[in-house]
Amino acid sequence: MIFTIFKKELKDTLRDRRTLIAMVVIPVLVFPLILGISTSVSNSFEDKQQNEVFKVALLTDDPGNEFVRELMSIPDSLGPKELEFYPLEEDASQLIHMDSAQIAIAIPPNFDQDQANLNSSNITIYFKETNLGARQRAEFFAQHIESVLQNKRYDALDLNPTKLVPFTINYTNLSSTKEMLGKYVGGFIPYLFIIFGFIGCLYPAIDLFTGEKERKTLETLLTAPVPRWKILVGKMFVVVLSGISAASFAMIGLFLSLEVFEFIDNPKILEAVNSILSLKFISFLFLLLIPLTVFFAGIMIPITISAKSFKEAQSILTPVNFMIILPAMVGFIPGIELTYATALIPIVNIVLASKELVADTLGIDLLILTFIVMTAFAVLSIALSYKRFGRESNIIS
Amino acid sequence: MIEVNQLSKVFEFTKKQQKENNSNEKTSTAVNNISFTCQPGRVFSLLGPNGAGKTTTLRTIATIFQPTSGSVKVNGFDTVIAPERARKNIGFLTGSTGLYERLTPNEIIAYFGELYGVEKIAFETRKEYLFTLLDMHDFSNKRIGRLSTGMRQKVSIARTMIHDPQVVIFDEPTSGLDVITAENIIQLIDNCRKQGKTVLFSSHIMSEVDLLCDDLAIIHKGEILFNATMDEFRNQMQSKNLTAEFIRIVQNQTKTKLA
Repeated sequence: MIFTIFKKELKDTLRDRRTLIAMVVIPVLVFPLILGISTSVSNSFEDKQQNEVFKVALLTDDPGNEFVRELMSIPDSLGPKELEFYPLEEDASQLIHMDSAQIAIAIPPNFDQDQANLNSSNITIYFKETNLGARQRAEFFAQHIESVLQNKRYDALDLNPTKLVPFTINYTNLSSTKEMLGKYVGGFIPYLFIIFGFIGCLYPAIDLFTGEKERKTLETLLTAPVPRWKILVGKMFVVVLSGISAASFAMIGLFLSLEVFEFIDNPKILEAVNSILSLKFISFLFLLLIPLTVFFAGIMIPITISAKSFKEAQSILTPVNFMIILPAMVGFIPGIELTYATALIPIVNIVLASKELVADTLGIDLLILTFIVMTAFAVLSIALSYKRFGRESNIIS
Repeated sequence: MIEVNQLSKVFEFTKKQQKENNSNEKTSTAVNNISFTCQPGRVFSLLGPNGAGKTTTLRTIATIFQPTSGSVKVNGFDTVIAPERARKNIGFLTGSTGLYERLTPNEIIAYFGELYGVEKIAFETRKEYLFTLLDMHDFSNKRIGRLSTGMRQKVSIARTMIHDPQVVIFDEPTSGLDVITAENIIQLIDNCRKQGKTVLFSSHIMSEVDLLCDDLAIIHKGEILFNATMDEFRNQMQSKNLTAEFIRIVQNQTKTKLA
């Protein structure tokens, strides 16, 4: 009987355009869209950086000084630039604010003399941090010229530069790319899956409970010789399946972004991401997602069954959505890790466990504890749903 | 057969409902200690003005609500002790019954056939009989959302009768329907009587009652004011017509209570 109800509700749900959009279309498109847009924005930014003529205002009373000469000798293949000369007293901030230049370099009048005397000169570079890439270009010019002038000094002093370096340090990173990804972007994957799991459950939950009340079909269903718990379970299966499907379609979207659209071209990251998306990872992720989605369905159903209209259910569930998003964002906070304490907090434990799963550092004890805790919360939420579903005042609107 | 014995139904209000009702009353008695019996092969009409307790009584018989006190038996099955067995014997149709808009009549009938555990061969025979009787073949594969009110009502009737119930309950089945669609329902009730089924229907339309009813009970403010056969009702009439007599009985009780 549960299967009969499940079958009918699934058919009904799959014919609802709103549910299909929330369950299939948006999850499939989200990763290709996010990665596609971010890749194209970053590529166009790099292209812009590469090809855009960078305007440099040189504030100096001696346009022929060594700094200027070295600056001019930097080839345009490293980024085209246009130099404009202004007197030293010129207001640099005005030039930048008026967009006459992206950076302004003030060179003191005695620059050449300081260099000849092996003294240090004070160069001031003006820029706007909000002007993306300006600081990096300025630093590149300054470091390049400093290095050239430093080498000249070594020659003048007849010094071997290596003798001035007491030691060199090699920082050897023992974290694999996979671990790094887990640490820095690992929170993003469970966050998206939690959001899609929730959104995937949302419309079917409202449609199958509040909708049935609103359309006045629940009364008829309740006069059929089926125990109420079977009706609840049949409907709940559809809600859970929709949530898991939405999360799965998001995963398919991620796969399409990497394998079909090839949005990531860094082979190291690609290799790491491919190894993350292994059968083991997907199996464990689903192991965690199932009780999580049952939990979502279990907290939505009591709300949707007591709501009198689709609109009322939606307005109550919107703040619940925020209550789910907040713990899901814990994954972005550095320093919070899965422990025996955090494994007891629902949703937070799923985010942290998934993060560890991405980094391949999840211990089996914490995985089991997370699963047990989430299952316990799922069972509690089912009990609450059953209690509410049985209440007469909730059945008839 | 339906046996209603000293049935009472009291609803408890939540604080939210008290606020919505603009009242401090924590409970409301919808049905107060009523008893009546509906016999097979006869049409029993539960008559009463709006808010009299008709729908609550029918919903309690159909096991949607549980009695606060008293008992209801449907074909011998107590609705609290054996609700599923009682439901298996009931076909329940209300004037406000909705249908699944995204499904077709075929799919809805198949769904309820499965829910009522109708065997496949029996289901096909019954479906063919009902679809032919109600002239439903032309739209059996169209989605409900695209059907007219009359077509939908036919689907509701087929859904109610697919398991060939021995007890049929109609809650204001013709309310809001045009005369042609209402005629389908009248015909259905008459057919049910001829087939020996127990029919209970609620209404406040005296012409329907006059046409169909064998027995009747008048209910007002949750209490039964009159319970007898239709012939007895006609014989004791003090007013010139059925509607006037119905109004007289209801108003009489109100005056008695006020006095």
